[in-house]
Amino acid sequence: MITVVVAIVALLLGAALGFRRAKLDAPTVSATPEPSIESKADVDSMPEVRAALDSLSVGVVVASASGNIIFRNTPSKGLTGEVHSDVLVDEAVDVHLRGALDGQIRRQVLDLFGPPRKVVAVSATPLSTGGAIAMIEDITERSLVDAVRTDFVANISHELKTPVGAIAVLAEALSDEDDLDVIHRLSGKMVDEAVRVGRTIDDLLELSRIELGGEAVKDAVSVSMVIAEAVDRARSLSERRAIDIQSIEASDRMKVLGDRRQLVSALGNLVENAVKYSERGSKVEVSAHTDGTWVRFTVRDYGMGIPTRDIDRIFERFYRVDRARSRETGGTGLGLAIVRHVATNHGGEVSVSSVEGEGSTFVLKVPAAPGLVMTSMSEAG
Amino acid sequence: MSRAAHEELADLRSEVLRVSANLIESIPRAAQILLDQDLEGAEYQILADDEFDMRTMVLEERCIALMALHAPVASELRHAVTIMKMSADLERSADLVVNICKVSRRIHGHELDAKLRGLIARMGQQAQSLFKHSFEAYADLNLPVAKAVDDMDLFLDYLHKQFIQAIFESHSAGHIDLPIAVQMAITARFFERIGDHAVNCAHFVQFLITGHLPPAGDHRRGGRGGSDLTPIGGIPLPVTEAR
Repeated sequence: MITVVVAIVALLLGAALGFRRAKLDAPTVSATPEPSIESKADVDSMPEVRAALDSLSVGVVVASASGNIIFRNTPSKGLTGEVHSDVLVDEAVDVHLRGALDGQIRRQVLDLFGPPRKVVAVSATPLSTGGAIAMIEDITERSLVDAVRTDFVANISHELKTPVGAIAVLAEALSDEDDLDVIHRLSGKMVDEAVRVGRTIDDLLELSRIELGGEAVKDAVSVSMVIAEAVDRARSLSERRAIDIQSIEASDRMKVLGDRRQLVSALGNLVENAVKYSERGSKVEVSAHTDGTWVRFTVRDYGMGIPTRDIDRIFERFYRVDRARSRETGGTGLGLAIVRHVATNHGGEVSVSSVEGEGSTFVLKVPAAPGLVMTSMSEAG
Repeated sequence: MSRAAHEELADLRSEVLRVSANLIESIPRAAQILLDQDLEGAEYQILADDEFDMRTMVLEERCIALMALHAPVASELRHAVTIMKMSADLERSADLVVNICKVSRRIHGHELDAKLRGLIARMGQQAQSLFKHSFEAYADLNLPVAKAVDDMDLFLDYLHKQFIQAIFESHSAGHIDLPIAVQMAITARFFERIGDHAVNCAHFVQFLITGHLPPAGDHRRGGRGGSDLTPIGGIPLPVTEAR
């Protein structure tokens, strides 16, 4: 595609070389209403070319041989959605256009902190007619997918190999052992590890079951029942850690549309997580609200919170904020991935806000069952 | 002023915006480097400061040359003065960012409490937000935004106090040693100072737009604007003795 762009632009450039009024280093801040590109006349003479370039997803900036910007398509302006990030991109474009005018092919990947975080690739190539073209591409998504893929392979081998490796070592130690006490202890540990790997595999299977979907169950499920069952799942863990789970009673008439088992599993995972990452003796709040179309389950804890850098990635399979602690908390690393899939399956979503040291709030949004109003009316009547 | 001088001023504006954008980018990055104790990132930021210093120095020299050679008046004179003042604040802020990165070296290997970590991230965001607003106020010549920066600084000061409190708590609970606590305290100071530089920049943006400079330190007592503004007229000296 890039070669096509270069070809089109070279054509355009041939027609436009007469117009060289805008200087390369003129202020091209996106904050100004319209950057000083004075090539309107030449582009207007070929509206199709302009429209074609504007419809690309990459930003295109063309400079003439004398170092003036003669064309800039729409996507090249405000690509990052943040004014100061755009200025940084502009700066890189200028630098590389100058390099390209000296005959070099340049490419740079800008990792912009934002927020929002963006990864932008800027490349510049000299054109055969003289002049140069710069292309700006937002590769945030792509670089994120790459990171997810690499981490997933590393993480899954960690989660599965560690317990299996432990079992192998324990079994080896066991085979040469005569002392009954030691045999007892080692076999106990083997059982623990086996349970652990079993749970991981169970969760993986559950996750792929939810992922595959199949026939989506759409029952009207009582919200208060989902909350009660989810809280029940975390009961033993919360009692052990002396954490008070406060669930706010939802009205019996509040119902959601979906699969009861999946919803309980999703909310249960959120509550369990909240309990796991809370300080001993603190509290976890579970509540539900509806606006008629959506029901929002909210799970709030006052625990350690999630570092900003990890917050976008915690819903990935096996992603761990603190790998050193993962065995201590005893999760499989799949809980939040399950929650996200359940939410997607129901046409809803799950979101999180968190500040380190202050706690986290997870919100699971699923569609409300229709006829909410009718139910309440029939009951009133 | 001649056409060449107008172009030079436009060029200076573009450059000061670019330098600011680089600074805005680096503030939360420094907070993250500190939280991750990312030594490589710290090294990179520290080395990048030389170029930053150079750029701000060139900016100031070009402003002086512009004033000496082209004798701008009125808003153009104010613009040149504003750019000069802003480059000094930008340069100091970038040094503070470097200082924060250096702290990440000094505390390397020491764990921080979640509460301290959360506050570091928040101070980074808030300090960035202040500069971002000064930047936008300057780019759009937006007076309300420039004035809002003062109020935003109050929140940064509040975070600073909270952070100091959290350091005491963390230290008395035995989670961090005294040297680390001291490093944390100066880090809090660095963020707070960055905010003050952003406020200075915003004040000069106000000066650029209105010709009046808000009285120094006045915003902390809530008595901003109104009667005790010092009129500057055509003379580009921020005289405050009229109060």
